[in-house]
Formats: sequence, structure tokens, C-alpha cells
Amino acid sequence: MSADQAITLADVTFAYGPDDPTVLEGVDLAIPRGAVTVIVGASGGGKSTLLSMLNGLIPSFISGEFTGSITAAGTDLTTTRTNRVADQIGMVLQDYEAQLFGTSITAEVAFGPENLGVDPVEIDARIDRALALADLDTIDRRRPPSSLSGGQKQRLVIAGVAAMEPRVMILDEPTSDLDPAGTEALLSVLQRVRTADVDGGWAGPETVVMVTHAVEEAIGADHIIMLADGGVAASGPPAAVLRDAAALRAARVGVPPLVTAFDALGVEQAALPLTPRAAETLIETAGFTYDPRVLPVGAPAETGADTGAELFALEGVRYEYPTDREPVIAVDAVDLQIDRGAFIALIGHNGSGKSTLSKLLHGLLDPTAGTVTLDGAPLGSYSATERGRRIGYVFQNPDHQLFAETVRDEVAFGPSNFGYSGDDLDARVSAALETVDLSPLADEDPFKLSRGQRQRVALAGILATDPRCIIFDEPTTGLDATQHRQFMQLVGRLNRTEGLTVIMITHDMETVARYAPRAVVMDAGRVVFDGNTRALFSDPDRLARYQLRAPQVTQLAHRLAPEMPPPLTERELIAALGGSR
Amino acid sequence: MSQAYAPFVDRDTLVHRLDPRAKLVGISALFVLAYVFSNPVVIAVPALISLALVLSVGGYRNLRRVRVIVIALFVVGFVVWPVFLAPGGAVLLAVGPVILTEREVFIALGRSLRIVTFILGGLVFISTTTTEELVRGLRQLGVPYPICFAVGTALRLFPTFIGAAGTVRQAQAARGADLGGGSIRARLRGFIPLLIPVFMTAFRNIQTQSMALEARGFDPMGGRSFYGDLRFQRRDWALTLVSVGVMITATLAALGGFGRI
Repeated sequence: MSADQAITLADVTFAYGPDDPTVLEGVDLAIPRGAVTVIVGASGGGKSTLLSMLNGLIPSFISGEFTGSITAAGTDLTTTRTNRVADQIGMVLQDYEAQLFGTSITAEVAFGPENLGVDPVEIDARIDRALALADLDTIDRRRPPSSLSGGQKQRLVIAGVAAMEPRVMILDEPTSDLDPAGTEALLSVLQRVRTADVDGGWAGPETVVMVTHAVEEAIGADHIIMLADGGVAASGPPAAVLRDAAALRAARVGVPPLVTAFDALGVEQAALPLTPRAAETLIETAGFTYDPRVLPVGAPAETGADTGAELFALEGVRYEYPTDREPVIAVDAVDLQIDRGAFIALIGHNGSGKSTLSKLLHGLLDPTAGTVTLDGAPLGSYSATERGRRIGYVFQNPDHQLFAETVRDEVAFGPSNFGYSGDDLDARVSAALETVDLSPLADEDPFKLSRGQRQRVALAGILATDPRCIIFDEPTTGLDATQHRQFMQLVGRLNRTEGLTVIMITHDMETVARYAPRAVVMDAGRVVFDGNTRALFSDPDRLARYQLRAPQVTQLAHRLAPEMPPPLTERELIAALGGSR
Repeated sequence: MSQAYAPFVDRDTLVHRLDPRAKLVGISALFVLAYVFSNPVVIAVPALISLALVLSVGGYRNLRRVRVIVIALFVVGFVVWPVFLAPGGAVLLAVGPVILTEREVFIALGRSLRIVTFILGGLVFISTTTTEELVRGLRQLGVPYPICFAVGTALRLFPTFIGAAGTVRQAQAARGADLGGGSIRARLRGFIPLLIPVFMTAFRNIQTQSMALEARGFDPMGGRSFYGDLRFQRRDWALTLVSVGVMITATLAALGGFGRI
């Protein structure tokens, strides 16, 4: 093993059990020392499995069917228990809720160092450093972790691992539940953890390894490993891996939008830009002319439907929930009108009141003050069944609702609760499964499906009740690029062809720009922007104020012609640059 | 929101500030008072003190949650005890074969008050002690660390699962699930769409948790250090001394015949 490698895998083959499919086969790879390595690949493609090998959880904790060798700094990880290398290799798993052990912030950060037997006086100093790194030093340290927001919990887990001062830090999708500002803060934390510009002490891990579905995070890495079909499909610097659009698509990894656009514009692969800055330089040197006047004023082509009569009207809506100290106001003074056939993105940072507002729309919560009307009548005048028939709600995590033994039974649960039966019920279920493209899996056990498929089962269960409106709460979390695109295209098609009203909570600004003609931005419980999505993305100052981040193509437009309405999709950028060649 | 599920009441009262070990001794003194005497008039003293404490630390929320149990225990105790007791004193009630004497009523009332004191005292403790303090207190009292860790984890996971159950409930309600009403069989059937997702979530949680523990260097049997140990303050010593005094005095008085019926 070379001294430049933090961890190496040689000829690794693994399956979780003798009857389970092989997840990785004959994998050879090296994690370079002193670099940020990002692992990308399709969901279910073995990324998390690979990560679990980097600190020896596989095979020392989960034995499975393992062959091959794993070495880190001269230690054989196949024979060393993970808790013996915890001081060297820190790991942040995907589900942050399940990794919080402490009963207070202090206890949480102290837990790792305590396990290592670090002296309490030294732990005190480490807590200060770790919380400063994770930007959590302004929060009351006695608070229980359960009282923190998602983004804060995620950063607390990182602080807990950082306090162990490992040489290598491994993170599994650390940004999937974070808002744009939270993601940026976390990435900057990781940069800081690496360079440790906190006074004195530990100098940060030399090496960071991270799994992500967000292509923009991969662009900022030093090294990328792309997994496909149980093996390493590509490995190298971002400039090499991320410009090969065909290989990325084959591995079901998102293609950087600027790569897609400039590829279509006829730029050769080696010159394709990964960042808006690089694209700006390319436009200047390669003689492209940027003319945004060709862009539509409203939504991108093929998005949005014509809206009809009023569906929801909210007036002065307020919601507060009690705590031991004083009530917390989650939603305040919200006036909103939503017409039939609308496609609305509900955005804002973690804790801004989006989920609470969406639950008020469904009647899962009753407003403390103000009124919500549905089809002109107060929401309270409908029975739960009447509401459920009109409005569907797709929760973030499909596993919070799947329970039946077959996909068909699962999908039939909603409509049968609403009184459909016999042939009518069967027809609805079949049609819904057809719509989400799951008919061949109708008799499968929902728990055996992939996350993307489970999400579609959940959607089918709602579609089968034939609602007028569906509220989606972060429906694409945990989906890979292909699953994500398929899911959103399906929702877009339902909106356009069936006139389904869509209200979607999301942190993914690419999704907002591409699919939602109207955006509603929330901040501290209030609606601070309600209008055309292109208008929202045309003002960089406003985006910064709401802690939102524009898609890359839009960021490029802000550089080229800040005063003009920007393109929202690759296709629009291509058009503004003179069309594909 | 999860705050509302946890029994700890986030306030800053004198009882909150006490060391959990001192608190335990203090509450034990109330229990001893309720236990060594059998005269309901005497037992009413610790019962009322406990009630006043629960209310003064903001524990009404917790009291409301267990009120059905408290009332049930009180009533059932009151009905069942006389069956096992020897009659004595004036007859208060005679309906057919049922004869209720003064002595029976007195003792039954005392027993019921005793149980209520135990519950109220427990409420005072859980309303004013964070899980962290409890776990540290247990460990500093000499309880082995793996047991303390298990207690702490269980208490910490509880609100997490209640939260998950809340989400599942909303998800199924949105699909028109009927969550209540009907025959017992219908109700049980109605629970399946709730139970399965909650169990699956819990199961996945535990899997992740055990891996995360391992990755954080946790070794239940290995050596470790302890950060932030609790220190006894002057008020903790004062409460402990007073409580021990009360326990001894009460025990001696009871042996001497005080508070007996």
C-alpha cells in the first residue's frame, strides 16, 4: 500500500447473506489521503455497503459473505473490530436520528471521546472545538438533541464524530435532508473540519469520504469514485469523471447540468465546464452569444397546466403548538390562494413552517387562528373521509405508511377506506399501478422493493383515490438521479394531462426550477414570496435573503446578464446560447 | 414538538436544580412516611406534599396523563382492600352480605393514599430530572455503566418512537384509515396499518444505531472516561440530611405505635 492511500480495498466481493445477491464484486479501490473523495452511483448500487467497509463495519460487525482485503494505515480492517479503529476513522451514517445517543448536546459530543477514554478536561476543550466547527456553539448545550431541527441534528452528529478527532471522516449522504443553506453550511463545515481553522488542537481529518446524490457536491470534491453494477465504473478527479455524460447516465448518476448543456452545444468533452464560472469563461473564449430574450416569460415549456377555479383559500392562518416555556408559532398570518391545476413548490429552510402549512391544508392540523377553505367551504365542514378523497398527502418517507403484504393490497388500502369495492376498486388499483409503472410488481411484497419503487407505491395508493390535489412532502429524498427524474416526470404529467393540483415541499432548487411554475417561499412561519418561479430566480439578492440557491444554469445567467430573466433548465440555456449544434 | 412527549418539564425550579441523588433520597423519605404508617390522616401528609410538589414543578401535564391510572388504583384499592381485612369498629354500611366497618374503610383509604403517594413522588422525579441527570446519577450511585446506558437509550428512544408513531398515524389517517371505534376485532385490525410501519421504522433505527455505536468506539465492557460528573451542592446535602432524619424518626415513631389503627 502506498503512503498516499488512506484506505485500500483489494478484490472485495460481498453479499449480505448466502442467498442474497452479490452487492460488490471484485472491487479494487484506493481512497487517496489528504483529499475529499465523493462516491456516486445508483441507489441500491452498493454505496452504503462500500462505506461500511471503510471502517470495517463490514466484515467485522456485519459479517455476510465477504472475501478480499481492506487495509487502513497498515491495519487489517477485516480482522479488527470497528470500535478499535474509531479513534482513526470516524463515520457518520445516513439516518441521523438513529445516531444520537446523548441526552443533551454536551453529552452527545462527549460520548465518542468518553468511549475512547479521553480525560474529562480534554473532553471539555474538544466539545468547544467540535461545536464551533459544526456551527452549533450558539445553541444552549443543555438542550436535548431531539429538540433540534433536522439540519442541526445532522451537524451535531458530525460534531460528535469530529470530537473523536479521527484522521479519516466518512459520511453517508450527509446533505439529503438539508435545505440549501444547511447544505452549504455543512459543506463549509467539512472544509473547515479538514483544514481546522479553529484555535489550536487537532488539525482536522486528512481525508474525507462522502456519498452523495447531489452532483454539485461531487463537483467540489478532489476525487470521485463512481459505482455501477457492483463494481467501480470510473475513478478520478471530477474533471475526468463528471464530463463523461454517457458513463454517468449508464451508472444512473446525475449529469452536471452545464455538462449536458454545453455537450448539446457541441463543445468537446475535455472542455466541458463544471461550474458557472468555468462556463462563463468558455462562453467568452469560444464565441457563444448569450441572448435570454428567446426565453419564455413564464414557466419552462411543458410545465404547468392551465389553472381553473379556486381550490384552497387561506386567510390569516396561524398555527402554534405548546411547549413548557411558551407556545411556538409555526405558521403565522398566511394568506394564500391555490387554484385547481396549479403546480406549486413550497420552499424555505428547515423549520420555516412548510410541513405545518401543508398539514393545515390537509386538515391533519387545525389552525389556531384564521380560515382554510376547500372548494369555497371551510375545511372543518368536511368529514375526514371527504377531505381524504379530495386531497392526497404523500409523506417524505414511504416507510411510514407501507404495511400490506402485497403492492396491490397496499394501493387498495386508501380507496377501500373511502368506500370503493369490487370491480371499481380493482380497476382503480390497476390504473394507479399502471400510471406509476408498477403493474408487473403488483403481487410483490412492498418491503422488498427499492426506495424509488416504494415511493411510487405510496403515490399509487394516493392516486387510486382519485384526488383533486396531492400534497408532496419532500418526495424525492433518497432517490437517485434516474428515479428522481422518473418520479418528477410522472408528477408533471399528472399535473398537465389530468389537471391534478400539485403542492410540493422540496429543498431541491433544480426540481423547483424545472417543474413548478409557481413558488411559495416561507420564512419563520410567514409567506415571504408567492409568485412566478422565474421571477424568484431572477433576483440573486432575494435568493440570498431567503437562503436559497439558484440552479447552476441560473447562476450562470446571473453572471452573464444579471438584469435579464434567467433560463431555468439546460434546454432553455441551450436555446439562449443559440441552440444545439 | 417532541418535547411535549417527554415527561421532563423544562422549567427552572428549586426541585429541578437538586442533584438527582438528593432528589431520590428526598422522595424516598416521602415514600417511607407513606409506608410505615397506616393511618390515612398521617399518610395524607406525604400524599399532599407530593401533590403540591408535582403541581409546583409544572408536572400537571404528566399528572393528567396518568390520572386515569391514579383514580383507578385509588378506587380499586378502596374496593378490594376491605375484602381482605378483618372488620372492626362501627358498621358504616350494611347491604345484604356486604358489611363495611370503620376500620376497613380507614385502612383501605390509607393503602390507596399510599399508592397515590408513590405515583406522585415518581412524577415529581421524572418531571424534574433530565434523562442525562438520571443516567449520571445512577452511575454515580454505583450502577454498572452498561445498565445506565441501556436505561438512557430506552428513555431517549421513547419520544423518538412516539414521534414516528405520530407521523405514521397522520400518514394513515390521510389515506382514510379508521383509527378507532367498532368492535375489538375491528380495532385490532385497524391497528395493523399503524403497528407495522412503526415496528419497521424502529427495527431499522436499531440496526443503524448499533452500527453507529460501534463506529463511535462504544465498548460496553471496555474502559471509558466520564465527562461532566455531578457534584453535591450544599442544598443537596441539606435535603439528604433532613430526609434521612425524617426516615429514621418516622420509622421509630411507627415502631412506637404512632399512626397505627
